[in-house]
Amino acid sequence: MLYEYDALSSQRVPDVVVLPTSTEQVAQIVRLASRENVPVVARGAGTGLSGGAVATAGGVVVCFARMKRIIEIDIEDQRARVQPGVVNFDLSLAGMDRGYYFAPDPSSQKACTIGGNVAENSGGPHTLAYGVTTNHVLGLEVVLPSGEVISTGAGFWDRPGYDLTGLLVGSEGTLGIVTEITVRLMRKPEAVKTLLAVYDRVLDATRTVAAITGRGITPAALEMMDGFTLRAVEAATHAGYPLDSAAVLLIEIEGLLEAVEEQTEQIEEVCRECHAREVRRATTEAERDLLWRGRKNAFGALGRISPNFYVQDGVIPRTRLPEVLEYIDDVARRYDLRIGNIFHAGDGNLHPILMFDARNQEQARQVVKAAREIISKCVEMGGSITGEHGVGVEKNELMPLIFSEDDLEMMARVKNVFNPEGAFNPGKVLPSGKMCGELRVQVSASN
Amino acid sequence: MMTALESVPTELAGIVGSTHVVTEEATCRSAAVDGLQPKAMVYPQSAEQVAAVLKCAADHDLAVIPHRNGTKIEVGNRPRRYDIALSLKDLNSIWQYEPEDLTASVEPGIKLGDLQRMLRRHRLWLPLDPAGGARASLGGILATNASGPLRLFYGAPRDLVVGMKIATTEGKIISTGGRVVKNVAGYDLSKLLIGSHGTLGVIVEANLKLFPLPAERETFAFAVASLDAARELRRQILHSALTPIRMVYMDGEFRRLVLEPAGDARAAGESALWVEAAGSKRVIGRYSRTLADLGRSVSTAVASLGAEEAARGWQRIADFRALIAQSFPDSVILKVMLPISATEDFLAAARQECERAKARLGILAQPGSGVAHLCLPEVAARANAVGLIENLRRAAAALRGALVVERCSPEVKTQIDVWGPTGSDFQIMRKLKQAWDPKGILSPGRFVGSL
Repeated sequence: MLYEYDALSSQRVPDVVVLPTSTEQVAQIVRLASRENVPVVARGAGTGLSGGAVATAGGVVVCFARMKRIIEIDIEDQRARVQPGVVNFDLSLAGMDRGYYFAPDPSSQKACTIGGNVAENSGGPHTLAYGVTTNHVLGLEVVLPSGEVISTGAGFWDRPGYDLTGLLVGSEGTLGIVTEITVRLMRKPEAVKTLLAVYDRVLDATRTVAAITGRGITPAALEMMDGFTLRAVEAATHAGYPLDSAAVLLIEIEGLLEAVEEQTEQIEEVCRECHAREVRRATTEAERDLLWRGRKNAFGALGRISPNFYVQDGVIPRTRLPEVLEYIDDVARRYDLRIGNIFHAGDGNLHPILMFDARNQEQARQVVKAAREIISKCVEMGGSITGEHGVGVEKNELMPLIFSEDDLEMMARVKNVFNPEGAFNPGKVLPSGKMCGELRVQVSASN
Repeated sequence: MMTALESVPTELAGIVGSTHVVTEEATCRSAAVDGLQPKAMVYPQSAEQVAAVLKCAADHDLAVIPHRNGTKIEVGNRPRRYDIALSLKDLNSIWQYEPEDLTASVEPGIKLGDLQRMLRRHRLWLPLDPAGGARASLGGILATNASGPLRLFYGAPRDLVVGMKIATTEGKIISTGGRVVKNVAGYDLSKLLIGSHGTLGVIVEANLKLFPLPAERETFAFAVASLDAARELRRQILHSALTPIRMVYMDGEFRRLVLEPAGDARAAGESALWVEAAGSKRVIGRYSRTLADLGRSVSTAVASLGAEEAARGWQRIADFRALIAQSFPDSVILKVMLPISATEDFLAAARQECERAKARLGILAQPGSGVAHLCLPEVAARANAVGLIENLRRAAAALRGALVVERCSPEVKTQIDVWGPTGSDFQIMRKLKQAWDPKGILSPGRFVGSL
């Protein structure tokens, strides 16, 4: 039964999986489930990394694999209307011939769905310049636990009323089940340049990140990969990453031709000032694709060298990168673990990847403890427990690290307005109150 | 009720200190909303005091309206009741300003102009140009999700806030989001508060995302002969590679009302499209060339405005509501939100409606964002104001848009809902209001559906 997994873990087998083809069918399923008093969990492609789509309490899984129609691409109004099962990459391609695309680009964009992106408020490398999913959603059609269907937002900005669209995006399927999404499309930039800056010291790479922002430049993407990770990626992808380096930055600059040329030169200068050993420019589209393929397939590549790994998702103020990366190194030493780092450096969104072997139960326990230490450090730096992967069942017990009882009580109250019986996606986001401060990970993803 | 109200000032003084509770007639009159006057103006000195004042008001069932400079206080339905004006004037600190992280935490009473002055020292800014301009307070901007033409490139306040602290009617201070630019932990309650017009809680601290100030800026002005020409220009610019930071269409009447009094001779009569470019000198040069080409294709000339003229113009555009209100106390100002491509069709329909009603009309539109402001300087004095507003609202709805009355006389307000009809999500909104403000003491009756 495949529906018991997502990319985090497998925990519980759903009682039934349904594949509706229309909003009306979703509403009927929800009404039936409500009558039978069983939970309902919405599911896209199951690429989530926090267990958001896993039916931890059993019940009905509503899988959107058959609701994947792009209803309308409206270039003049710069928007598209889609069903939740549409794959992120397919939506981006759909407007490309007319020069428009959907900007959020999670690493799993070739598989993950727009419905899932909305539930998790997904990010991706290019959110540095363009924002995350919530900045690109105009309106939603939503099924409530009663089976009632409502619309939030509109096909225009600033609809009067509370911003329920903004509240629903990132609510991880706990407030309503989204059955249609209106998104904003953006014009494809005229020019793109991709740089690979190679460093002999991790510290120099992290200093470059702050120095670029300090120059008043916002690249479209600013990604970092440490030596350990890039060697694994190189072995799998042959992207041409230098095997002997300590870290690389993958930097993309987009926009008007003139701006891209100037900023590319300025960024190269900053990289060299920060002791980059070498700054390479991707000169062809094929070279650029190769560099990105390495980045976006990194998790798969790591699966080749470790039976299991656990991807963390913490956020820190970007100027704290040097300090926190050193800390992660220290955690790896103390726990005798291999930890790779590949992350969105420009916005301080870390993804430490902890390698382990799930058959070694002691090691699996150590991994959870180590990850917890890293997340606590992020919080101590003024950061967050998750930047884009969501809370799910992975981190709901960590919520008290950053929120007070009053904060959580208000969130619970908001949840009760939408989902008073807790029928939608139970056990996610908010702590259960049973196990305070626990990070939950059973068996992590592996290849 | 009366006895409660009489003893309350003492209780409030116990929270904020007696010098920070003012019951003088003149002060209360200055905080009047739609002709309704509060019985006291309270000046809390800290977030904790805001929460305590709210709790005290809730305990005594007294209605509270948050207040700062009043640049947007006219937006909303007439309050059902109004006892206490909660002035956020003294909450004007900046916490945790981290120029290198491009973030700052601010209190609600700080004025946008003061914040920008501080940020400019580090070549940063908060890219917002809402109505009220430099005088607008951050609290007011967020409570109304007030954006201006800069939203074309930078987004609205909802896109620039990464976390906040909120005082609730139960006397608590709750946090949502955080101080980092990317965060998905928990429900995004900031979104709920932004644009809630002071009906759910009081924002006592907001964590903002900052941006580098552009190296150079230049404003290009097109003379626009007709709405058809405006449509064609808008389309060509949006489909081009250019990404201007703001763009406005102003008709001749709007320019006469807002720009001409400042001595802009060119304002007389002509409609214009202003496009502001930002970037290096080379980038600005590219805008100059591409915009000239686009202008030629629709047979219209484009001129670059001098830096001073542009700065003064944009400032007056941000202040347009106050400028019109000063000269025309009975003016009506409407905000219309539309699908981008319907902007000019709506403006043509609005012109016809106003001609039929013999009402003067000035237009300020943000082509590219689908937002337009209609300024009716004299209409409120006429008997047909309500009918005209309703016709314009119907015209917007016919194009799948909506209309909000941002300014009108209290008499007109008694006859219309300034927000227009509610939708299928209204029951949820009502329950959210109930969850946050069970006694209904915060800005009662002012928001959609008279929440």
